Amino acid sequence: MLYIVLAIIGGFLTILSMVVNAGLGKEIGVFRGTFINYVVGLSLILIMVLMLGSFLDIKTLTSIPFYAFLGGALGVIIVASSNVIIPKIPAIYTVLLNFIGQIVAGIIIDYIRFDFISKGKIIGGILVILGILYNSMIDKKQLRDGNNA
Amino acid sequence: MYKLYAILIGVLITIMVTFNGVLESHIGNFLAVLVIHIVGLSSISLILLLRQERPTIKKGIPLYLYTGGAIGILLVLVNNICFSNLGASLTLSLGVFGQLLLSSIIDHFGLMGMKAYKFQLKKLIGFSIILVGLIIMTIY
Repeated sequence: MLYIVLAIIGGFLTILSMVVNAGLGKEIGVFRGTFINYVVGLSLILIMVLMLGSFLDIKTLTSIPFYAFLGGALGVIIVASSNVIIPKIPAIYTVLLNFIGQIVAGIIIDYIRFDFISKGKIIGGILVILGILYNSMIDKKQLRDGNNA
Repeated sequence: MYKLYAILIGVLITIMVTFNGVLESHIGNFLAVLVIHIVGLSSISLILLLRQERPTIKKGIPLYLYTGGAIGILLVLVNNICFSNLGASLTLSLGVFGQLLLSSIIDHFGLMGMKAYKFQLKKLIGFSIILVGLIIMTIY
């Protein structure tokens, strides 16, 4: 239950960081804004790690599969490409389309990692997509009526 | 065409969360976030170099605009913890639910400088469908 609440809070944080990053990007440019983000982030986590007294040792690092190091680079690619694409499609579709990509990849990755396809995940995922779609349509109608009024 | 790209970004997000989760399982949550930010900072520095942009700090803009990095750290910490315990698909679905919830609240009250759009009760139907989907994903 704790993890479920945490994961929902993760969603809150996603929106907050999108709003804040968009604000900074508007002021100084998207890429410069992203740079500042990572400088602030790295400084903070460095302080936290030093306070905790945990250190990276080379032996452990070399035993990790190389691809595991690419997450940080992917994060930057995601931010950069989102900034190109999001203005070009209606905002209400962004969450929906992103989610379709995420859930399909998530089911495939869970299958590769744990070697089984969960029917519940697929049925549940489709329901979540339908729910988002339904609400997107209401948003769209509201936007259209609002613009006409 | 751009819609296809939006789906692809979703795929990338899942791959990223997975890679980060694997890293976390090897070196622990805090060190993983450290490595992720070192790699991320190197990548964005490379992009700035290629685009020949200099990093700047502008005076007189609201201080909270600089908190994105701190929010990002919390987000990666939370995602890594949940990924190890809930798996990729459930973590992401619950995250989307959180996103929709907070965006509805922001829209309804017009928070953070956004235009206010009153919450429509009809949207409770959509939220209920999403919730049922999440419950099915959780208990299976």
